Amino acid sequence: MKNNKKFLQRALIISIPALLIVVQSCKKSFLDVKAAGTVSATQFWQNQQDATDAVNGMYANLHEWTNIAFAPIAVESMGSDDVEKGSTPTDASFMNDFHNFSANSGEGQISDFWGGEYKTINLANQILDNVPAINMDATLKNRYLGEAKFIRAYAYFRLVRAFGDVPLRLHVPKSATEYNLPRTPKAQVWAAIETDLTDAAAVLPQSYSATDIGRVTKGAALALHAKVAMYQTASNPAKWNDVLNYTNQVMGLGYTLFPNYEQMFRTNNKNNSESIFEIQCMLVPNNPTASNSQYSQVQGVRGSTGGGWGFNVPSDALAAAFETGDPRRDATIIFRGEITPEGDAIPASGDNPMYNQKSYVPFSLYVSGFNEGCQQNKIVLRYADVLLMNAEANNELGNAAAALASLELVRARARAGNIAILPAVTTTDKTALQLAIWNERHVELAMEFDRYFDVIRQGRAAAIFGGRGWKANKNEVWPIPQNEIDLSAGVLTQNPGY
Amino acid sequence: MLKMYYLSKFVVNSNQLISIPKLISRNHMKRIFTISGLVLLCSFFFTFAYAQNTTLKGKVTDAATGESLIGVSVIIKGSTTGTQTDASGAFTLSVSPNATLVVTYLGYAEQQVNVGNASTITIKMLAAASQLQQVIVIGYGTQRKVDNTGSVASVKGADIAKQSSENALASLQGKVAGVNITNSGSPGASPQVTIRGLGSIEGATNPLYVVDGVWYDDITFLNTADIENVSVLKDASSTAIYGVRAANGVIVITTKRGAKGGVVINYNGYVGWQKATNLVPMADATQYATAINELYQYNNITPPLFSDPASFGKGTNWYNQILRNAFTTNHEISLNGGTDKYRYNYSFGYLDQDGLVKTNNYQRFTFHLSNDLKITDAITVGFTATGLSSKSRDIDGGIFHELYGAAPTLPVFYKTGAYGDPADYHTGDGNNYNPEATIDFFNQHSKNKRFTGNVYGEWKIIKDLKFRTSFGGDLGLAELRAYTPVYFATQAQQSTSSSQTVDHTQTRNWIWENTLTYEKQIKDHRITALLGYGAQDYTTFYASGFAKDVPYVASGSIRNSFPDTAKNVLQPVTPDRQPHTRSLSEFGRINYSYRDTYLLNASARYDGSSAFYGKTGAQAFGWFPSVGAGWVVSNEPFMKNQHFFDNLKLRGSWGQVGNANVPINLSNVAVTNDASYLTAVFGNPQVSYQGRVINTVAPPITVWEKAESTDFGLEAAFLHNKLSFEADYYNRITQNAIFAIPIPASVGAAGNNIEGNQAKIRNRGTEFLVSWKDKPSTDFSYSVSANLGINNNIVLDVQTGQNPIYTGGNGIANGALATRIVEGQPIGEFYGYKVTGIFQQNQSSGAQPTAKAGDFIYQDTNHDGTVDTRDKVVLGNPNPKYAYGINTSFTYKNFDLELDMQGVAGVDIYNADIAYRYGNENFTEDFFTHRWHGPGTSNTYPSVNVGSNANAAPNSFYVESGAYFRVRNAQLGYTFDAKSLTRYGIKKLRIFANAQNALNIFGYKGFNPEVGSADGTVGNRGIDANVYPLYATYNFGVNVTF
Repeated sequence: MKNNKKFLQRALIISIPALLIVVQSCKKSFLDVKAAGTVSATQFWQNQQDATDAVNGMYANLHEWTNIAFAPIAVESMGSDDVEKGSTPTDASFMNDFHNFSANSGEGQISDFWGGEYKTINLANQILDNVPAINMDATLKNRYLGEAKFIRAYAYFRLVRAFGDVPLRLHVPKSATEYNLPRTPKAQVWAAIETDLTDAAAVLPQSYSATDIGRVTKGAALALHAKVAMYQTASNPAKWNDVLNYTNQVMGLGYTLFPNYEQMFRTNNKNNSESIFEIQCMLVPNNPTASNSQYSQVQGVRGSTGGGWGFNVPSDALAAAFETGDPRRDATIIFRGEITPEGDAIPASGDNPMYNQKSYVPFSLYVSGFNEGCQQNKIVLRYADVLLMNAEANNELGNAAAALASLELVRARARAGNIAILPAVTTTDKTALQLAIWNERHVELAMEFDRYFDVIRQGRAAAIFGGRGWKANKNEVWPIPQNEIDLSAGVLTQNPGY
Repeated sequence: MLKMYYLSKFVVNSNQLISIPKLISRNHMKRIFTISGLVLLCSFFFTFAYAQNTTLKGKVTDAATGESLIGVSVIIKGSTTGTQTDASGAFTLSVSPNATLVVTYLGYAEQQVNVGNASTITIKMLAAASQLQQVIVIGYGTQRKVDNTGSVASVKGADIAKQSSENALASLQGKVAGVNITNSGSPGASPQVTIRGLGSIEGATNPLYVVDGVWYDDITFLNTADIENVSVLKDASSTAIYGVRAANGVIVITTKRGAKGGVVINYNGYVGWQKATNLVPMADATQYATAINELYQYNNITPPLFSDPASFGKGTNWYNQILRNAFTTNHEISLNGGTDKYRYNYSFGYLDQDGLVKTNNYQRFTFHLSNDLKITDAITVGFTATGLSSKSRDIDGGIFHELYGAAPTLPVFYKTGAYGDPADYHTGDGNNYNPEATIDFFNQHSKNKRFTGNVYGEWKIIKDLKFRTSFGGDLGLAELRAYTPVYFATQAQQSTSSSQTVDHTQTRNWIWENTLTYEKQIKDHRITALLGYGAQDYTTFYASGFAKDVPYVASGSIRNSFPDTAKNVLQPVTPDRQPHTRSLSEFGRINYSYRDTYLLNASARYDGSSAFYGKTGAQAFGWFPSVGAGWVVSNEPFMKNQHFFDNLKLRGSWGQVGNANVPINLSNVAVTNDASYLTAVFGNPQVSYQGRVINTVAPPITVWEKAESTDFGLEAAFLHNKLSFEADYYNRITQNAIFAIPIPASVGAAGNNIEGNQAKIRNRGTEFLVSWKDKPSTDFSYSVSANLGINNNIVLDVQTGQNPIYTGGNGIANGALATRIVEGQPIGEFYGYKVTGIFQQNQSSGAQPTAKAGDFIYQDTNHDGTVDTRDKVVLGNPNPKYAYGINTSFTYKNFDLELDMQGVAGVDIYNADIAYRYGNENFTEDFFTHRWHGPGTSNTYPSVNVGSNANAAPNSFYVESGAYFRVRNAQLGYTFDAKSLTRYGIKKLRIFANAQNALNIFGYKGFNPEVGSADGTVGNRGIDANVYPLYATYNFGVNVTF
């Protein structure tokens, strides 16, 4: 018995220092804990897969909430005469502040839009800074860099249209001293956008194999470049030559108008022959988290299962803008009480008289647990837009005949063989033709987030939006987000009038 | 010679045992001299057992009540020989003549009794009213209160158990100065606890809980009845021994252990119910319809929604429909007993608690097992094991807000039996739900299993030196299952396919600690030294599964696994759901007192934490030192002749402690693969691709937060210890507070912020405790104690300086931010416009040119003729300045009465519910009655258009005082005469009735002035967008001892 005790005592005496030694020796390595599932940034940007994943992430970000839902509606659509807030009167009443131009710098959608675009830019910058050093397939690398340049240009395009001068960030900041950038004059931002688009057009393919459809193409870069040039024509009419040049190039790439205007916007006609660039969205089976696009949902028919929230609804002015018999009116607007071509009965007692039909996804495609209409792609650029830009450029540059030819292509498709409607425009008077082209843009591209900035570009905003409070020399742009100004400690300035 | 020295010294100090050398045989001696010095010394212990002594029988009672005291430690002075009293307070001990017994018991004054030649003895213990001799639990040990130089508050387990609350922390409310407890209300949830103010912004603000040596972040697994003692360590000199986890204070809990004696069975049980109190009356259906019509009018919408408001009458009272008086029952049975060698305490508990919402229920089984086995006189081993198994039927988190917003015009059911559908009334977003349908179709169950505890071994190496090793573990399994059937209730509440979600969370933690304690008294010098080291590992695993088209099974498919036919998807797991941290520590402490008059405590801990390992581990380790000094003035010779003070002690301490409970490895940038915004789509047909990106920016290095604090205290007792007083002043500065500094959104980082050690926070305050305890007659005794904590919180320094950081958007309309953090101001103060009145007419010019009649008039603070964000002012402070408690107890004959009151003052609440509107939510009756509805009708309340952007902007209208006073606990008990019960084998029988939170006095117009933070972040503290009603609990119970 005693021996046992002694044994135990000895064992313990020996074990104490032994344990101390064990603990001491494994000290540092014991604390080097790698969190499960994390990949450190230092392990990234090593191979082709990393580049592919990063490019995927950049595309994915385009259909995230701030880039495709409320913020774009507020900033890129609500100011237009084509829309009203929609939904119920008191729901998200801040949207009205964009419609009556009382939105101030503290408005949440302003900062959402700003932040969303800069997130996109950051993801593109990450690729442009890091992919060049990766040892990978050279063709693919060049294409990835081209895609990133397009996406960056697209984000800056949206920013400069919305805010004017904005901080121009073309690299990932390396340290905190590079966080706080002042605004760059918009001419320089436009120039940077054009450089990116020129580079992108030079390397991007004209089309992709089936598995890669949806990536940006040479045509997309050229079409966006045309649009970027067009937005500079107000201050620099010579830019019409660029518009003409780039649209002509796109017209040489084989795009054709999709025969059925109304069906062009349905999910089974994604990426059709007219499509130049669409933000790709889908219902990822069994994965509502990944199926995150709310583009269709926020505009969907309110009060119907499979519908949506009913924001950004067509206005009476839009309904009245169509020429008599123009089928595009019914293709653009869902009217309360109608039965859609897909067979959805829209309740006659709904909250809103009209809804956007271009974002509409038939209710039968709704899957409970998912965002309504998460399958819907958002069309960013399509061939009709290019044709109308081409028509406008030709007219501005005195080529009335060429202008009429492009315009007629758009009207003919809308007419769909019905000679009783939409007669061909024949005027060669520059001003009259300009108006005809503008009217065509209005109805052809209605509810496609084009109208608001288009009217400002055309110099008609005071006339068309003035009744709702639009003021020249102020409302051409929205205010810079107040929290961004606060954070900059004086580096960022506010737009005039805000 | 060295060995001989030890021997002789030993003999000199063991003045009671002069015959030791005689007892050791020649053989034995020889062997002793052949082994190492340490073992030699140890061996001596085993020789004590051979002393020839007489048997002493004794009993220990409470001097005041005469009650037997169980588990009192009785030790022969100058030896390790001793015992504990059994269930009847008796002990038997073999002693030599003239031995002195040292009798100690938690909460009572230590006594030294000379046995003389007596063979029986009764020792009456004085409850430590003076707190002078009281023994308190501190980190890694116990200490006489008189020797302590820090700020430590002790609460007896019995006082906590008395409150019949299912969570021990809730019962602490109002008991300890400086400890602020905010109850959350939902069954099974843990209250938010802060000690001495908010010391962190991003990190945890809750204290560290140490239960029987094992470290926890919460103690929801503990049955209140199993707690023996709670010690709240507040100042740095008390907490620094816990190093990097101690910045927010430490709560050390010891649980019950066995006492020597026969089997003692205790049964404690109660039944009761909870009742919602202070429900805010809502507008009835007629008032609601009137208000909504007004809202339409303000927004120029015709026709009004309700053509005839009066036709709706009173309508549906949704609170009556969904809430109930919730039944609770709790039972606990414990077995306790032991011998000199072996002690046990086993307990089993069962709690069944209904929630206030009809479908909500929480059931909990607990067990608590502890064994102590004395293998030899020197070696004791034992374990504590606590188990918990709980299950709950959950409620939709939004249900209370639905109740608040639901239209009273909506019937619960139509005559057809179908659910009343808000879509039929066009009442719009925000109340397009029928709350009854919400609870009927919300099918989510949670299960929790937890097994935790420790095993320990204790070895008295030599008389004064003790080694202890303790290995603790914590294994938790949480499971959540939710099932959505195919159903149709209303337009907004329906599902066309079924689905099931199963979440599993597993925690596996362990802690291993080893300590060496040396305790020695040499004449007037009393010294305790502690050395220790330990390692810890915390791991959480999380997995989630989701399946569609899971057929409903009547037996409850929610319990089944996913069927094979279901389309199963394992959800991707984000790394932040899989935290794994480790730490490694060495620590030491010396407590020294001279003549019980001059006290010195010093401790240091060297901690390494994986949370700051970074790339090289260079920043992983840090020092946490502390020092404390005390002067017991009343023990000075010059105080001998005064009779005013029974005790007077001054003390002071300084120390640095850390907070490692902060985001892990912030300086390591991780690659994100969050599917929620990184799923790209390409191809025809379309296929999804998972992207990965770097979308954050990170600081180069982060280290833990360090709290440096100073404490000065005074303890005094007067009038024969009837009156005692304690005061503390503290100054705690959190350096390197981890904090997210917003960066420009133009950087393009997710979250738009950079986290790092970027702020400095100060909490400075005073605490007072006054107690009075008296026994005027043999039948009557009472005690009254009051405590008050005053705290001032301020941000001393933040990287953005005077450039404020706006936060706190929870529940504020349109994500507006209602709180800010700025240098020189309290953390998260409310910030917004100051309301100066209500516009009586539509505006077209002036400072608010777009304002409508009935809108708020905001102060043009900078007089620039326009109201914008530059006109915002400070509106209030969500950090309570004053927290107080008054605790009383009265005993008269067999009756006992306890009244505990508690409250806070100097605190503001942001009542976000009022403007938290998406559409046509209901209004409170108060709002409806006072609303502006035409020129001259109000100059304080806005129109029903209160949810508009302009009116919902954070402003002073929504900031109200959060001061409250409540009778936290009232309990009346009756103890039956023991004599009449013995024939039934009952030793003690007490019945009681108690009421908790029965009386609440406050001016706040919301539901409950106890507003924590909805998401736990400091920026959302004090913003009330939650509407969990306040409730009172009424219980009837019985305590029986067999």
